[in-house]
Amino acid sequence: MAQIPNLDNAPINLASLREQSQKELLTILKNIRGKKCLVIDPKLSGSLSLIVQTALLKEHGVELRHLSAEPLQTECTKLVYLVSDQLATTRHISLHIHDNTSKGLQKEYYLYFVPRRSVACEQILKEEKVHDLFTIGEYPLYMVPLDEDVISFELDFAYKECLVDADTSSLWHIAKAIHRLEFSFGLIPNVRAKGKASLDVAEILDRMQTEEPVNIDNVLPDINTLILLDREVDMITPMCTQLTYEGLLDELLHVNDGAVELDASIMGAQQEGKKVKVPLNSSDKLLKETRDLNFEVVVQVLRQKATSMKQDYTDITTNNQTVSELKDFVKKLNSLPEMTRHINLAQHLSTLTSKPSFLGRLDMEHTIVESESYDISFEYIEEMIHKQEPLASVLRLLILFSVTNSGLPKRNYDYLRREILHSYGFEHMATLNNLEKAGFFRKQEMRSNWLTVKRALRLVVEDTDTANPNDISYVFSGYAPLSVRLIQQAIRSGWRPIEEILKLLPGPHFETKRGGLSRASSLESLTGGSANVDKAASGRRSVVLVVFIGGVTFAEISALRFLSSQELMEYDIIIATTKVVNGQTLLDPFVEKLS
Amino acid sequence: LLWKESWELSKNPMASRGSPLHGPRIKLVEKARDLFAETKEHNFESKAAEEHAKLLRMQHELEVSTKQAIFVDSSISDTIRTCIVLGNHRAAMKVKTEFKVSEKRWYWLKVFALATIRDWDALEKF
Repeated sequence: MAQIPNLDNAPINLASLREQSQKELLTILKNIRGKKCLVIDPKLSGSLSLIVQTALLKEHGVELRHLSAEPLQTECTKLVYLVSDQLATTRHISLHIHDNTSKGLQKEYYLYFVPRRSVACEQILKEEKVHDLFTIGEYPLYMVPLDEDVISFELDFAYKECLVDADTSSLWHIAKAIHRLEFSFGLIPNVRAKGKASLDVAEILDRMQTEEPVNIDNVLPDINTLILLDREVDMITPMCTQLTYEGLLDELLHVNDGAVELDASIMGAQQEGKKVKVPLNSSDKLLKETRDLNFEVVVQVLRQKATSMKQDYTDITTNNQTVSELKDFVKKLNSLPEMTRHINLAQHLSTLTSKPSFLGRLDMEHTIVESESYDISFEYIEEMIHKQEPLASVLRLLILFSVTNSGLPKRNYDYLRREILHSYGFEHMATLNNLEKAGFFRKQEMRSNWLTVKRALRLVVEDTDTANPNDISYVFSGYAPLSVRLIQQAIRSGWRPIEEILKLLPGPHFETKRGGLSRASSLESLTGGSANVDKAASGRRSVVLVVFIGGVTFAEISALRFLSSQELMEYDIIIATTKVVNGQTLLDPFVEKLS
Repeated sequence: LLWKESWELSKNPMASRGSPLHGPRIKLVEKARDLFAETKEHNFESKAAEEHAKLLRMQHELEVSTKQAIFVDSSISDTIRTCIVLGNHRAAMKVKTEFKVSEKRWYWLKVFALATIRDWDALEKF
């Protein structure tokens, strides 16, 4: 189970948020007397591991099981199911019950939906004639803090459901989560949104405020501004390979629920073939220092630290030391496990990133983002398809190519589609259909305005110094993420100065002030002038909550952290997202699977 | 109509997957082709469905003649590769001409396939 992140330094009190979720879960369990078996939907186990430790559950007399189609083996007479609203898992539960009844076993059943009851699932239980056996409840877990400044709603399929299936229930979930935050931290006075889904969330949020208002008479709200950004607005950034340390870890090894799993041999252990889990969050001081840096720099930092440690060691062995000097040395030794861990990880990443195929790909991404040569990019992708390289990597470049060109001319579009079907199988007709509906890969209908956007927002920065960055473009070694540029603008001056550019990007934009005129002082602070009033009043910097609907990448998180660390910046930034993604995990739900 | 058509095609491979009877499946794909053909803007989908049906038929024949159930549900490129790996160059050529596979793609496939079976002589020659 992944290490639970330390939240002590969070700009708003996220720890209390986690404690509340923990308490709610324990209350549910306490209310069921005696020994019980907790059966968890595998989809939820990741988020639960970030909320509560297994040991704590065991203290409450809980036996843990994962929910699957297999019959359940347990001595307990009380079964507590904790599930998300998936129809398939509901079927598994009814299978269990039928299995138990056929064996003549009498058990008590409890069913808790996360985060809320689903009519469809209950209908299945009714059809299976087991509905009456259940005590049904809700466990309102709408979000999980991943770190001091990152919250996840853990909605893996939200983006695809919204864009392709026109299923917007996840937007309700997002609004509900924000509304719950407001109950703890006060009504957020400023809202800025860009993209269709963002506007919908803002609308639902307003409705919730009317139906179930957050009291606005209490003190200054903890969160000053809410920025809602639809992933659709910027599909360029997630399609590029991330070059920060944590971003690369995700690209190459896949970070899941704040941890990365890899072969023990990479981490220097003797056992072959075994897997180890390495937690990644800011409790690890060395990671905290390096995660947001460009990977090139991380290698140098690690080398420096290792050399200085070696120096210390030689000093110790050659000279006579005072006790306090020895103490210092031992203290430094405590960081040794962290050092070895990251040196091992970095070494593994280096072998992967020095491959010519990796470098070739970076070059091509650059060519496409720069819109340097249509023909070269086209031929590169064509060759990838012919070589049957992994479909996910083909699609990433293809989407990058399509989005920067506002689609492809019909002849090229049909040709590439046909080649994909021939190389990867006709079942991917559905995949292509999904991508077309989402607007990621489509026929060209108008001239591309990518060059205008790129120039106006300074997305490509020529002389990027990755070691001493002065701009967010360091996270992609020269490309500044479009999404973060927009947020930078939204925080500094609101949408107005860049309205012309916003119109060129997908989806409408919108800006509003809530909570009446009494909040005038905090509103003004956005223009920069009277932010000091805020500071003086609360004794700390104001907080901006940025919500990514459809996922955010580690590189973007790094870029936002970089922004809030700048001297002139008067805000702390908290990031909330449906899921932390990379290009591949973002596209996964769009790729049709047969099974 | 648009919904129904796209569903038809995306559902049908699943509907009959794993069943030894490929007859109904080919019919389904052909039905999808006809449905797509009804509207002009689905020209591409219609053609793809037609090719899909043709591919399934050829794969079925190949499985009968080679007595190995390894062809159905692989892509056109995979089929060509499998043929070459098995040394059945005539069948590979037939698939190539049938689906108008471009020379570019053909060469990649042939090189990969020959490398898999370490047929360095054939690789040298071509």
